[in-house]
Amino acid sequence: MNGWAGKVLDIDLTTGQIREYPLDEKKARLFLGGRGLGARLLWDEVGPEVEPLSPANVLIFAAGPLTATGYQTSNRFSVSTKSPLTGTVLDANSGGYWGMQFKKAGYDVLIVRGKAEKPVYIEIKPDRVSLHDAADLWGMRVRAVTEKLGQNDNRRNVLCIGPAGENLVRLAAIMNDGQRSLARGGPGAVMGSKNLKAIVVEGRQRPEILDQELFKFMLYETRKLLRASPLTSQALPEFGTAVVMNIINDIGALPTRNFQQSQFEAAEAISGEALTDTYLVKNTACWACPIACTRISKTEKVEGEGPEFETTWAFGAQCGNADLAAIIEANALCNDLGIDTISAGSTIACAMELTEKGFLDSDLRFGRADLFAQALEDMAYRRGLGEDLAEGSLRLATKYGAPELSMSVKGLEMPAYDPRGMQGQGLLYATSNRGACHMRGNMLGLEVLGLPKLIDRFQVQGKSSYVILHQNSAAAIDSLVLCKFTNLGVAEEYFARALSAVTGVKYATGDLIRVGERVWNLERLYNLREGFTAKDDTLPPRLLNEAVVAGPSQGWVAKLEPMLKEYYRARGWDEQGKPRLQKLEELGLKELVS
Amino acid sequence: MIDERIFEQFKEIGRDLYDAGLISSHGGNISVRLGDRVVIKRRGAQLGRLKPHDLIETGLDKNDSGVALASTELLAHRTIYKQTPALAIVHCHPRTAIAFSLSRDEIVPIDNEASYLLKKVPVVSEEYPSGTPEMANKLAAILQSYKIVMLRGHGSFAIGQTLDEAFHWTTTLEESCQIALYAKLINEPFIEYRKMSEAYGKW
Repeated sequence: MNGWAGKVLDIDLTTGQIREYPLDEKKARLFLGGRGLGARLLWDEVGPEVEPLSPANVLIFAAGPLTATGYQTSNRFSVSTKSPLTGTVLDANSGGYWGMQFKKAGYDVLIVRGKAEKPVYIEIKPDRVSLHDAADLWGMRVRAVTEKLGQNDNRRNVLCIGPAGENLVRLAAIMNDGQRSLARGGPGAVMGSKNLKAIVVEGRQRPEILDQELFKFMLYETRKLLRASPLTSQALPEFGTAVVMNIINDIGALPTRNFQQSQFEAAEAISGEALTDTYLVKNTACWACPIACTRISKTEKVEGEGPEFETTWAFGAQCGNADLAAIIEANALCNDLGIDTISAGSTIACAMELTEKGFLDSDLRFGRADLFAQALEDMAYRRGLGEDLAEGSLRLATKYGAPELSMSVKGLEMPAYDPRGMQGQGLLYATSNRGACHMRGNMLGLEVLGLPKLIDRFQVQGKSSYVILHQNSAAAIDSLVLCKFTNLGVAEEYFARALSAVTGVKYATGDLIRVGERVWNLERLYNLREGFTAKDDTLPPRLLNEAVVAGPSQGWVAKLEPMLKEYYRARGWDEQGKPRLQKLEELGLKELVS
Repeated sequence: MIDERIFEQFKEIGRDLYDAGLISSHGGNISVRLGDRVVIKRRGAQLGRLKPHDLIETGLDKNDSGVALASTELLAHRTIYKQTPALAIVHCHPRTAIAFSLSRDEIVPIDNEASYLLKKVPVVSEEYPSGTPEMANKLAAILQSYKIVMLRGHGSFAIGQTLDEAFHWTTTLEESCQIALYAKLINEPFIEYRKMSEAYGKW
């Protein structure tokens, strides 16, 4: 099995049993790896009877067939589980070095099941896999644990949880390589519920590549495209992902003060350009990445990776805050506590609006960046109001009598694009399988940047086609596993050919997108089995009913209903959003429901 | 009811195809996929002079009265949409590319732009008449892996996310073939300037 390592590592923390067995070749070809393979294994492992924070839930860490091959951005890996925040199928993926190292240890997949009696960590070395006592690590923050366990980017890589994961915070991330995160949906809480503090990997095996000549050509062509694209060769390296802050704000699609406005008057002060001019120390890159979008920032109080665009927005415009240093410091604290920055910032913004509208008695008000640190510490340790913040914005807003003020879909906080100014993005959020997400396809390219060509962002008719294509494409890329920023300069046909070169299995571009469609439908089946229905494919009432009051998107609401109807039909689903048998048959999924 | 913005895209691309000499007065056809619907040019309408009533909407799978009015290439368009990720199709008659298609099974560009964007364009013979299921399936199978394909002696089918994108591949191919034609006329030894260019033919 060229490309795939061909092995699954399976660890039961309840019994301490460590097993290895061959990867199912048929599943690998149909679902590739990462998110796709994770979803397929999760389907068999975790049914609707399983509580996300019970020992019966599993964590499935998965690399992909391109991981560690040296193809551009082939550093990523994912974790799949049932989300404690949303109750949906969940996968989160991350870059850095850990994924590459895990694949080089000779595995495609690590399944962690059960619950250890006492805190433990897993060590995966070329000659031995072992469990170790983690009593002295429990309670430590991410940076300290990572250092103590011997993080060395090219040789030994550490993945761990911080206090938030230990305290079962539903927004808890799993962190790798110190400051990278598998962030969304609370996978850190699942890891905490298993008393698993960390997983350390050392690997030595490079994956075998079948067609070296073609692979070299794909490396060359991909490098050429990434260098030619101003986005991947200039904008991202120079300004990071926050390069889009001003662009999104200019079109009136930057959610501000918990989506009450769609333009932030101080966007420029928290933009990528501002970060570069003020607190940026340098940019850096994940393994095998020529783009190097990662920021290293420094304020008087902290120095570290980030912040990304979404984080900058979450603690910036979303909280009505223009203090960039405060954003950098909130980001660093989230990383050290092991918390998802998007959900944390947006949950705090929700608390701010709840307070200003009189539902909640707290000091949190828009613009109070001075309270970020306290709120995040309280969240991670579930102290005071932090006990409610730790539950995410939907549970928080519901408890205080105003669930409509949670800017979330299926319980996952929405990222930094206002669907009223980007209609396709609204459909994308509403239908995303893990809840509102900008990484399950993104209409930024088509509706704003003109990638590959610009379409009208307010157009509703036909939008479902674009959304479906981009959702399928994203699912395929997440299954390879590559970084989606590569896709800003390189089309899917290159990924398909690189995959064919590595594995020797012929994947046309259409085949690769079809893998994504298969993954998307499988995730849908999973959520339906969990009891989700078409009613959950919606947006917060504010976006459906309250028109944007000023700016370039003035007068617009999200016109979800017609897009959603078209979407279901175009997906081959019935009016209730259930995939029809014919569609499942086409995708090789029929056996799962018969 | 077809959104005015969608008609504008058809009108612009249709006009450009005619102006660029890529179609005769009544030749070619273009379409987009809108969810489970297809919007395609009316049979006999002039792409260079499209009016709103020249756009026909019909089902991707299901027939309705629209098929009575649609372009004769409807089957090919539907098949391509069902078997590939395409959301838009441009079919036209690029003259230089057609001339090259008469003598080769693939067009491998020698200019920089098309080498970069297309790498290689397959050429297929119409063993079955255009508009038959056999031909439609053949085209769709090739477009699983390529952005544009030539029907020998007939014309090109290009796919994209938008009409604009499919038009881009079409003009890139025709420009590349014109450059190749000039190079042939100059008839001097070719100086290879592209690294790993031998791989383009294997694309």
